[in-house]
Amino acid sequence: MIIRLNRRTMMGGAAAFGAALAMPHVARAQAKTLVAATFPGTWNEADRNVISPAFKSATGAAVTQSIVLGTDQVARLTAAKGNKPPFDVAFFDAPQVLDAVKEGLIVEYPAAQSPNFGGLIPKFQDKWGPKITMQVIGIGYNPKKITTPPKSWEELWEPKYKGRVGLTALNSQLGIAFLAELNRIKGGSETDFEPAFKALRELLPNVGAIAANLGAYATLWQQEQIDIAPYNFNFVQTLKAKDVPVEFTIPQTGAAGWETSLHLVANAQEPELAVKYIDLHLDPKIQAQVMKPPYDVIPTSSKVTLEGAITTSLAKTHDDLAKVRGFDWEKLNPQRGALIERFNREIKV
Amino acid sequence: MRVKGDESSLALPLAAVFVAFFVAPLCILVVLSLHGEAAMRTWTAANYVKFFTDAFNYSILWQTLLLGVKATLVCLVFGYPIAWVCARSGARLQSIIVFLVIMPILTSVVVRTFAWIVILGRQGIINQVWLGLGAAEPLRLLYTETGVIMVLAQVQMPLMVLPILTVMSKIDPNLADASRVLGAGEWRTLWRVTIPLSLPGVIAGCILTYTACITAFVTQTLIGGARLIYMPLHIYQQAVGANNWPFAAAISVIFMVAVLVIVGILGAIGRRSETFARA
Repeated sequence: MIIRLNRRTMMGGAAAFGAALAMPHVARAQAKTLVAATFPGTWNEADRNVISPAFKSATGAAVTQSIVLGTDQVARLTAAKGNKPPFDVAFFDAPQVLDAVKEGLIVEYPAAQSPNFGGLIPKFQDKWGPKITMQVIGIGYNPKKITTPPKSWEELWEPKYKGRVGLTALNSQLGIAFLAELNRIKGGSETDFEPAFKALRELLPNVGAIAANLGAYATLWQQEQIDIAPYNFNFVQTLKAKDVPVEFTIPQTGAAGWETSLHLVANAQEPELAVKYIDLHLDPKIQAQVMKPPYDVIPTSSKVTLEGAITTSLAKTHDDLAKVRGFDWEKLNPQRGALIERFNREIKV
Repeated sequence: MRVKGDESSLALPLAAVFVAFFVAPLCILVVLSLHGEAAMRTWTAANYVKFFTDAFNYSILWQTLLLGVKATLVCLVFGYPIAWVCARSGARLQSIIVFLVIMPILTSVVVRTFAWIVILGRQGIINQVWLGLGAAEPLRLLYTETGVIMVLAQVQMPLMVLPILTVMSKIDPNLADASRVLGAGEWRTLWRVTIPLSLPGVIAGCILTYTACITAFVTQTLIGGARLIYMPLHIYQQAVGANNWPFAAAISVIFMVAVLVIVGILGAIGRRSETFARA
């Protein structure tokens, strides 16, 4: 087949292309697309495999995932301030919510348009956006190498784990939460991190690797580069589902964690679709579905009965979940920069 | 080369793209680095003062620049012979070698780097062989500078080989013949004729490899981990982790200037070697 391109057909094609660029709403009207942020790991898989299909059948619209960590989302939304935001739904851990509210990056959640919002356990009904799950930190370990589950954080300092302990840099939520928890156990306070850094210095001979990001951290487990390390309940479940030898246990000092939430971004392009998408995350049926492996997402709806891995390693009831100790992000957030810097100085070789 | 006025206007669209998407953001970066906060309300030189009054920052800059030197040297030591063999072989073998050299660029740098994690890890190929030979402890390669240099040298190798190869294949083969006829052996010919003539390619290859190595954020962080802090990770952590954009901008500017100085020096050597080659 020969396609003849003359000046007229070229101009026609260019004009049509130009029109499509100039009037994106025409192109979009056919199939609307919502751009939603999500976290790498458990959540991008749950969003892609469970929530997106449900959203498609409920609204006819598609979802484009933007797989970015919370701090990166804040950076991107800040950079786009005053313009079209890069995504309509933000996916934050507790500390980023404070930053985003302060910067005016998100708007109050229109709870009235969200039928499942009222079904959440009251403490998860935040006016800036519903809490869709909790992230809980504890000790991850390789059951092939460590046959008796560790009982306390102190075990990380035992000489037998020389070179076998892993850590992650402080730009991840896991890193900063572990440091804060360590600080609490060692008698520090939100204004005095000296005890945590002292403990960290003593831990360094045991530390075999400090990952620069969570993706690299997962690889450390996959490659069995480390045997024991602070880790997040959901990341462990995701890796376990991929046959990586890793188990999760809560130390005697108790579970510590934070909430993860969804938010309507200021100046969102598709605000109604965004709320529908967020509301799906609160639907008891969906929450029950993503509570199953390989996701093991901790539910926040009062209408979901806890079951599965959550009940064996974390919480039997909703009351147990309420007992998971939180962090004072109002006090921790302003120090984040200084803590990262201090941490880097301590660990740099 | 002189370009007539009406022809140089052909470059205007490209120039406009450059100004809009390169020069303008760069100016914003410089201006931001001179402010106290991301909203750019107060002018200050504090970010630069902070960088230059803290040995921690220098050591990162210094180690980054040094990493580039080491990786570039490894690239040169392995890349030069490849280019030399390739330039001297027949057309068929030459295209096979060139294909093998280019192949790494055809896969994403993330994929290549992850492959290296599998190779360098405790359970990796190198350590399997090492332990198989009877060693008691696996070698520590992942999360060490040695590992980073090994991976950078492989990942950036094409940037070294291709410029050298281009220059080498332009060298008149009669010159080597003449050298031999005049009684010089293979080594002497290589040392006195081929290497001096190929220097411009070596310099170009070094500039490309060096700049690529020191800015290789993905490879540095995935293979090096968080304890080996190089400038790209430092900038990323300040910008995204610590949300301190002005300081991140300032260290970016400092890093850029440092790299430009080194590229300038290499370029000057390159120009001298060209005059030398022509003389």
